[in-house]
Amino acid sequence: MKVSTIWQRQLCYAGQLQQCGDEVEFLGEKQIITVVPTFNSPVLHLISGDVGPFRAGLPTNVPMWLAVQLKQRQQGKIQAPDWMDIDRLTEMKENEKQSQTFTKMPSDHYMVEAKILLDCASDDIPRADEIRTIIKDIWDIRMSKIRTSVNKLIKNADSYAGLDNLTVMEINSIRPILPHALDQIYRIKASKKLRVPSQNSTTFHTSSRPSTSFSS
Amino acid sequence: MDEAAIEELELSDAESFEEVQLTAAQVIEMMEEAWVNEKFAPEILPHKMEVVDCLLGQIAYMEENLQSLPSTDFKKSIHQLEVDRLRFLVSSYLRTRLEKIETYVTHILKQEQQRHESKEDLYLSKQELKFAKEIAEALKQNFDGLVSFYPGLPLEEWVSQPVQPNMHSFVFLKSKKDVNEVVIDDGSIATEGESDLVDFREGAQILIAYSSVAGLLKKGDVKLI
Repeated sequence: MKVSTIWQRQLCYAGQLQQCGDEVEFLGEKQIITVVPTFNSPVLHLISGDVGPFRAGLPTNVPMWLAVQLKQRQQGKIQAPDWMDIDRLTEMKENEKQSQTFTKMPSDHYMVEAKILLDCASDDIPRADEIRTIIKDIWDIRMSKIRTSVNKLIKNADSYAGLDNLTVMEINSIRPILPHALDQIYRIKASKKLRVPSQNSTTFHTSSRPSTSFSS
Repeated sequence: MDEAAIEELELSDAESFEEVQLTAAQVIEMMEEAWVNEKFAPEILPHKMEVVDCLLGQIAYMEENLQSLPSTDFKKSIHQLEVDRLRFLVSSYLRTRLEKIETYVTHILKQEQQRHESKEDLYLSKQELKFAKEIAEALKQNFDGLVSFYPGLPLEEWVSQPVQPNMHSFVFLKSKKDVNEVVIDDGSIATEGESDLVDFREGAQILIAYSSVAGLLKKGDVKLI
């Protein structure tokens, strides 16, 4: 629960070129998850590919959105992905702490998977609460690294940055604030060189122009 | 239904006229990529109507099949859910494009005109072009109407300063292959050979000004994230 409120605060900025946390989730819901169905059914021919056949008690791989559906209708139990395990997560957390850079996460959508699975299937995942806490810790360590590097980036006024191993959700958390800040720095640099600032600030102007024209 | 999963897709790119065999899953992936690219690129990108049409065809086919299933069948709701998810993807993509057309209509029409004259592929689909022209016409009428009511409004100023996308805005991207010597656009006008260069490794994630990578994005060498 704590996790989701933080997300809402950090992710849902207003602005045109933003992607809401929900849309990142939408992409993440394609991740393949193992479920143990409680029913029998032949292969399902989905547009995105075949799933099944389902045999009661036999683990099957399905996309996460389907897994959640089955769980909600009590037609199956969800098996936690193999990285969602206290020992592995503790190790990941230690690595993340030791490393100066970002370590590679086991899944590109680890936060989405954690949130969705722990929300809907906490009874299927052993020690769900501990897992929730430790994933939140990893997220926090990574977020503090992001803040430090953003700070450095802005101070150096760089025009380029590598972001290897950052997951989409983490990138989304610094959007749109970081790109916007860099846009402004770009404008400052461009106007310094040109001494004629108007060329690069068309969009900037158009937003403020009409109101001044009206008052005159 | 297995045959249906294999879709023939004709890519109408200028360079590649060959027919490509794609599975429906690959089409969905292309749609997702196009959706995210469109979402984050400041300007409107070349349209991907062949992907949209292909996916809509799949959706229509599936919906037709679903009608014959009794509503009590549990499979029906799962298929329906998938159809709804794909429908969201397509409509969100199209909506994003329409929003851009509305915002930058004058700018986009001017560019399309230039592309038309130099015989390049247009970025807008036929329907989008029609929509853009209608918007432009409606805007013009509105402005003309306004001026006749309130003479003295600085109409010339509005017309001469159409809203333009900020091509230098920063974007996050993932490189789909190794790309060498991308010129970093940092706002300063460096003379030839003096600007900073950077190499992208395959899979690298980068934050950079859109103007540096617009060409790569349209070629499909990188994707936005």
